[in-house]
Order: sequence, then structure tokens, then C-alpha cells
Amino acid sequence: MLDSFEILTTSGVVLWSKTYAPTSPSIINSLITSVFIEERTLPGAGVADDISAANNPPYKYDQHTCKWTTVKELGLIFVAVYRSLLHLSWIDKLVDNIKIIFVELYGDQLRKPHTTIVKCAFDDYFDQQIRQLEKTALNRDTKVAESTALRAEAPASVTQDFGNEPPPLPGILSRGASKNNYKDLTSNESTPIATPDTSRPSTPASHLLTGKGGPGGKGSRRARKAANTPTAYASSGDELQSKRDKASKPAVAKKGRKWDADGLADEDSDTPLDYSAPANGATSGEDEIKERPGAMKEIDQSSWGWKNEKGEFFLKDLDDQVDSILASATAKKTDTVTSSTGIVGSSISAIGGYFRSIVGGKTLTKEDLEKPMKAMEDHLLRKNVAREAAIRLCEGVERELIGVKTENFESIQTRIESAMESSLQKMLTPTSSHDLVLEINAIKKQRPYVISIVGVNGVGKSTNLSKICFFLLQRNFKVLVVACDTFRSGAVEQLAVHVRNLKELTAREGTGKVELYQKGYGKDAANVAKDAVTFGAQEGYDVVLIDTAGRRHNDQRLMSSLEKFANFAKPDKILMVGEALVGTDSVAQARNFNAAFGNGRSLDGFIISKCDTVGDMVGTLVSMVHATNVPVLFVGTGQHYNDLRGLSVQWALKKLMSSN
Amino acid sequence: MSTIQDWAHALMNPSPVGLIIAILIALTIPIFLHTVVFKASGLTTLPSILLLSPSGSGKTSLLTLFERGTPASTHTSQTPLAVECSLPVGTTASSDKYRSTHDPTSLTHKKFLLIDTPGHGKLRHHAQSSITNPQNLKGLIFLVDSATLSAGDEGLRQTADYLHNILLMLQKRSTGSKAAKALKDIPVLIAANKMDLFTALPAALVKSSLEAEITKVREARSKGLLDSGIGMEDEGEENDDWLGEMGSKEFRFKQMEEFDVSVEVLGGNVCGEEPKVDRWWQWIAERL
Ligand SMILES: Nc1nc2c(ncn2[C@@H]2O[C@H](COP(=O)(O)OP(=O)(O)OP(=O)(O)O)[C@@H](O)[C@H]2O)c(=O)[nH]1
Ligand SMILES: [Mg+2]
Repeated sequence: MLDSFEILTTSGVVLWSKTYAPTSPSIINSLITSVFIEERTLPGAGVADDISAANNPPYKYDQHTCKWTTVKELGLIFVAVYRSLLHLSWIDKLVDNIKIIFVELYGDQLRKPHTTIVKCAFDDYFDQQIRQLEKTALNRDTKVAESTALRAEAPASVTQDFGNEPPPLPGILSRGASKNNYKDLTSNESTPIATPDTSRPSTPASHLLTGKGGPGGKGSRRARKAANTPTAYASSGDELQSKRDKASKPAVAKKGRKWDADGLADEDSDTPLDYSAPANGATSGEDEIKERPGAMKEIDQSSWGWKNEKGEFFLKDLDDQVDSILASATAKKTDTVTSSTGIVGSSISAIGGYFRSIVGGKTLTKEDLEKPMKAMEDHLLRKNVAREAAIRLCEGVERELIGVKTENFESIQTRIESAMESSLQKMLTPTSSHDLVLEINAIKKQRPYVISIVGVNGVGKSTNLSKICFFLLQRNFKVLVVACDTFRSGAVEQLAVHVRNLKELTAREGTGKVELYQKGYGKDAANVAKDAVTFGAQEGYDVVLIDTAGRRHNDQRLMSSLEKFANFAKPDKILMVGEALVGTDSVAQARNFNAAFGNGRSLDGFIISKCDTVGDMVGTLVSMVHATNVPVLFVGTGQHYNDLRGLSVQWALKKLMSSN
Repeated sequence: MSTIQDWAHALMNPSPVGLIIAILIALTIPIFLHTVVFKASGLTTLPSILLLSPSGSGKTSLLTLFERGTPASTHTSQTPLAVECSLPVGTTASSDKYRSTHDPTSLTHKKFLLIDTPGHGKLRHHAQSSITNPQNLKGLIFLVDSATLSAGDEGLRQTADYLHNILLMLQKRSTGSKAAKALKDIPVLIAANKMDLFTALPAALVKSSLEAEITKVREARSKGLLDSGIGMEDEGEENDDWLGEMGSKEFRFKQMEEFDVSVEVLGGNVCGEEPKVDRWWQWIAERL
């Protein structure tokens, strides 16, 4: 069963919710942050697409699963939360139907500006949907065993006229009997079986009911007769209706909830009266009235029956409304497909569309967006954004824009540009602020702060490590540089040169202190790193900077050693150096490195080197962040030790959006 | 051929129909432009109060409390939200101070717009743009979750960081260009929320620990790396990012007064047994 269902706005207010079992609010919060804000599961999603819950990836968190759908126009999110262990076949349908019903009922209230108040008495609609869908699912599951089930129902229903929940399975009944009964049904009243309408709640009920009349023969014959004389049926039906009307009217609102427990049984026995073929209706209606004329009144008075009767009337009302809402929604959907076929209509709308695409106020469609989106994609590619990232960014923006109205005097082009800019901004902005100095200061004197640098060969790992080291030295930190590239000959010496230079510089400026820690070649890098951290702690270093061997991201053997390295060295920050020059490969690089540290550990940031050599084409930045959701912390901008910068998102956006 | 000529004739002739159409067009264009321009500029905005803080400190809860009297349940916000609120009975807006109590207009309570912003790190540009292009902005309320502010806490660091950035923006506004200076200074209320919780710090402690942490942030920021783009290319933007009094060792909220930014810290709670937000209401009333 469901744990909870919530309807909330993108601004964070819960409009309506129903809780069956207490769930932590952090489940939905985490859905919002990872799916909508950080877009971890579905890049470019946001609250953008009005698609069905079945097509949105379910979100799992802490043994719970969230099924969700959104309404972009109104900024609504519909979420169902249930235990991941359960398999609820009807859950997608529920989320979709609730969306349709809720928007239909309260759309006007939701469009009001400057208020969060939505007056909604939605409980009954929700309960109705749950009941209906659960039953449909149940019906589908038991369809195979239906004929036998019918047989079983028969004797029970004779004594217990308002049949309870779907019957217990038969064990005692002979096959022959059940077959007989089935044949009887199909021959006499073929309509309900020949056209089983699975979306209707009445389907199972109609089977049960007809079964009920079956064995006696009396009931079904009477039913047939009644069906043939519709006037009698109608009049008696009306009578019945009006009687119920009177009985129920005053109590409807007050006791609406109480009959809930009996709701299932109730619907089972009588909904056919309201919807199904007259034959069915007659079975129950006529039976009741003609066979037990007194029973009606009796039941009316007894609290059980009375409640039942009332509830049933109320239900019927609600059912009708919900059905018509759902039906009109489907009709609308098919309508929009077929509507734009008229020549006159289409040409007028084409002219209007053209006009509006200049003046603004146009509702964007996929066709409008196609060409400018292609141009945008090319633009991103020209900025050296990897194709994969460019395509997905564009898809995200497209999803966001379809159905959106442009502002006055706003062309599609500018709308796309601003949407792309804001989605790039969202992507490049880190989730929390990272201030290296502050973080080092926070643990200073307790233990050294460990930073390790990884990356493919030749991207400038050692250079950027030296730049970071220089920066830290200027801030008066004691830094231990560790040579963990025990693999490539010359690597240790290269680092030693850097350290010697840095020592000279610090001696001149009189700030900080730096030493090299090295164990030559051939040793296991993870062990060297571990020893170095211990050494650093003993000697009172503030920061331990670890250089690692460069490795191809598709070299399985070398990549797998990174996991051990992370376990041994326990770095506070693992930074990956990526080259601004690299093109399409950037996505795979970032992804493989991010996954190389085993469960629960990933990259903490990127350093994008050689940004000074690419001019405006800083697309690598985007590709790498896009692939991993890891922020860019530094950019390398030149050959000197002080050519290291923090990333300014505004700067990157300006470069990315500038036309060349 | 002749039909084309006919058409041309009809078009060129000073027919009454043509005249009427011309007059209509001449008259409607200004009206059309007027409506478009006015809608865009939104001149008739109510005075507004901006809510901002890191995620989860209770902005949206506070907003719903102010709107309806009881807090609604909430989740992480993704979009800003403006809601029309009116001052509760018993508080008088400062602009109404000298109004006679018999003045019928005083019966309608002063209305204002309360603007909620998302606190998630990626979405703070909403809040920042509301400060840089304010529309009749009368004050900022910076909510803090007093239960996550103990020393060394990640919450304290993130909160101080955000607050530092906001105060710096306000400071830059007042020292910045003439256009920005012309705008009125914006007062700040630091609303120490969640006082109902057992672990919450009292308002005085909230104030001092925020001040201490902002001192650290300020220090680290001044020592941090320059951002990309600054001093790299042609634009030699000078980098004056020191918050508060130059050369001061410790940061105090008082130092902001020099830049016409008043900062006050008041405690309260939105949820819990009994919401306690009177003092915040009072603060708002004084700014309207
Ligand atoms: N105990 C207690 N809980 C509170 C109080 N105020 C808010 N909360 C809770 O804090 C949580 C977060 O509140 P929100 O209003 O959604 O936070 P927010 O500031 O809008 O967060 P974002 O929208 O993510 O920026 C909710 O679960 C509230 O119930 C309070 O005064 N006391
Ligand atoms: Mg919020």
C-alpha cells in the first residue's frame, strides 16, 4: 500500500497530502534536490515535462520509492511514496489520474497570483481513485480464475445480499458446475463479458452480480424480462433514485468518510445500476424491489444499510464526475492531435504564429523550437562542448520551453538563449560553497588537510599541484608535497624541481613552508600516500598535497588502483585535472575517474587547465560538470605559479553565450 | 489586370472606411503601447519584504504562516514565490503612525508582498537578482536555523557564507555607482528561527557565533583565489571585497551601519507548539 501521496508546488508549499504511514519529509526533499535541482538522474529535467509518471524514472531513497509527475504550467509536483519492496501495478495510473483531476478541479485557484492558498476537499476524489484502481488491478490479477470465482460468489450472495469484498477462492466446487454457470452467463447476458471495460470500477461488480443471479435462474430470468421492458425499469429506478436522494441529501457531506470501510462492498453490489447495460442494472435494482419490497425500507433505517445507501449515492455522483474529467482529458489529447487539420484554421494560426513569433506572446511548440534549438546545439558544439552534453542540454531546454508563452517583444531566439543561460548557470553553480582556506582552517592543528590530484597523462597535474601549493604557501600554510607517481620515470624529479622553485619563492617572501616527500620508484602508490599522511600529521603540516601517476581513463588496471589509493590516503579532496583543449573525450574521462574510487567516494572538484589557450571555447567545463555533477573549483590560466583562479560562473557564461 | 487596378483605386481613394481604419489604428497604437509598457514595468507594486536563507531554515513555512495564520507543511523550494500579506491587527505600519485612528483607511490593514526565495546553493541567483533589481524592497529577512549553528558545524559555515555574500552585496550597493546609491538602503533582520527546538541557540548566541564565523569567512575570502575573469583580460576591475570596517579584526553587524545597512537579530519560531513571530511582525511593521 502507499505510504503517502503529496501534491506540492515548485515553490515548496504542500497543497494537499495524504499519509498512510508516517514518512520522513527528507524523502521528497531529496527527490526535489537530486532530480529537479541538481538533475542527477535526468539531465535537463527540472519541472519541465508534463509527461506521465510511467515515463519519469522512479526515484529511490532510503527504502522508499517515489513515483512522480509534474505540471509545468502550474508548477505542480505530484509524488507517491511507497516502500520499495512493494510492487504496485496501478501506481502510475494513480499519479496520472490524480494530476488530471486535481488540475481540472483547482486549476483556476492555482493560477491566482500572490497566494498559496488552495481550498481543496480532495480526499474523496483521492479515495475514489485508490479504490477504483486497486479494484481494476485486482480484477486483472484474478481474471484467469474468474469463472470459478463467480461460482463461489453465488451461494454467498443469496444469503448476503450486499456482497462483501471479492469472494474467497472456491475449493469445494466441482468444475462442471462452474463451467455450467459460466456458459449460462455468456449465453444470457453477453454484454458485460464481451466488452469488458477494465477502466471501469463496475467491471468486476457486473460479473459478480450476474453470477449472483445465475444459479437460482429466477433472478436472471427476471432480469432479462426487465431488460426487455425498459419503462418498468426506468420508473422503478427513478423511484428508487428519488427515495435515495431524500434519504441521503442531508448527510452526504457530514458522513462522507464513514462508509469508507464498506465502500468496496457497496460499489460491488450496486454500481451497475448506474452505469452498465440495463440488463445488469435491472438485475440488482429489480431484484431488490420486486423480491424484497420491505427490505428497502428496512435497510434504509438500519444504520448499516442506510449508510450504505447514502454512501453509494454519493459515490455515484463522484464517480461520474471523475470519469467525465478523465474522459474529457483523453478527448482533449486526441483533439489536439487532429484539430490543426483544417486549411483555413491552420493558415490563420500560421499567420498569427508568425506575427507572435516577432511580437511575443506565442505559445512555443516543438516545431517552433526545432530550428533554433539546432542552431543552439551547433553554437554549443562550436564552444567545444562535447556532443553528448550539448544534445542533452538542448533537450532539457526544449522540454522546459515547450508550451511556454514568450514574453512581449521576445523572439524565440532570445527565449532559448536565456533558458540555456540559466540552465548552464544552474549546472555550473556548485551546490555548496567551497572555500579551501576556510576548510583547511577548520581542521588546522588537528590533522593535515589531504588533497590529491588525479587525471590522464599530460594534462598538467604536477603544474596545477604546484600552483595550488604556491597559493597555500602565500596563505602561510605548511605544505607537504607527496610524489606518488612511482611509475613514470622522471616524474619525481619533475616534482622536485617544482618544490625547489617554490622553496626559493617562499624563502624570498618569507611565508609558509614546503617539503617534498618521496620514496623513489616502484613502490605501491597507496602505501606511499598513507605513510606520507602519517608523516605529515607527525610533523605538523597543514596540508598534504599528493600527486598521482597519470593514467588513461580506459586503462582498467591503473584505474582500479585508485580505489585502494582513496582508501589508504583518505583525501579530504580529490581533484581531477582536465584539459580545456580536450574535446569529446572529456565526458568519458570525467565519468570514469568519478567512478573509480569505489562506492561512496567520488571526485570533489575539477581543475580545468590551459584555459588561456582556448579563448571563448571553454566547453570542456560544461562537458565535465554535465557528466558528473562535480563542480569546477579552479581554472588554470597560464604558465606561472599564480595563474590559478577560482571559477566565476558569470565569466564562464559570458564566454559560452558570446557569439563568434 | 483591371481587378488589380480596381483594388489599387479602392485602396488609394479617400473612402470613409479607409479613413476610419486609419483613425482607429492611430488611436489604438498608443493605447496598446501604454498597456504593454506598463505591464512590463510593473509600476504598481506593493512594498515588498524579501526572505532568504540557506535551504531548510523555514522560509516557506514562515511565508505560509504569515499568509494564513498556521504554517503549511513544506518541501525544498525551487522557484521564488511572492505572496500578498497584510499586517495583523495590533500592529501599525510606520507610515501610518500619524494617521488618525478614525481614518477609515486605517481599517484596511497595510498590505505588502512577502517574497520567498529558494535557498539551495544552485538557485540563489533568484534572491540575488531581487536585491540587485529591487522593486519597492523595504527589507530583507535572513532566516537562520538556530539549531544548526553550534561551533564547527557545517550549517554555521554555510549560513555565514551566504549571509556574508548578501551583506557584501548590500555594502557594494551603498558604495557603488550613483544609480544604486539613489535607492534606499535596505535593513536586514536576522530571524533566529526554530527556537522551539531543544538544541536551538538563543538569539544573542546566534548573533555572536554568526559574527565570529563571518569574520573567518571574510578573512578566508580576502586570502582566497581571485575568480576567473578578474585581472585576466582587459577589464581591470578592482577587487574591494572586504565586508565591514576596513582593517577591523573582528566583524560586527554594527559595522554595517556605516554603509546604511541596519542589522537586527531577533528570535522566534514558525512551527512547534505555538508560533512565536510577533517580534518579526513588529520589525516588518516598522519598515512599511
Ligand atoms: N521545529 C521547528 N521546525 C521548523 C520551524 N520552522 C520551520 N521548520 C521546519 O523546517 C523545515 C524546512 O522548512 P522550509 O520552510 O521548507 O524551509 P525553506 O527555508 O523554505 O527551505 P528551501 O525552500 O529549501 O530554501 C520544515 O520541515 C519545517 O517544518 C520552527 O520554527 N521550528
Ligand atoms: Mg522554501
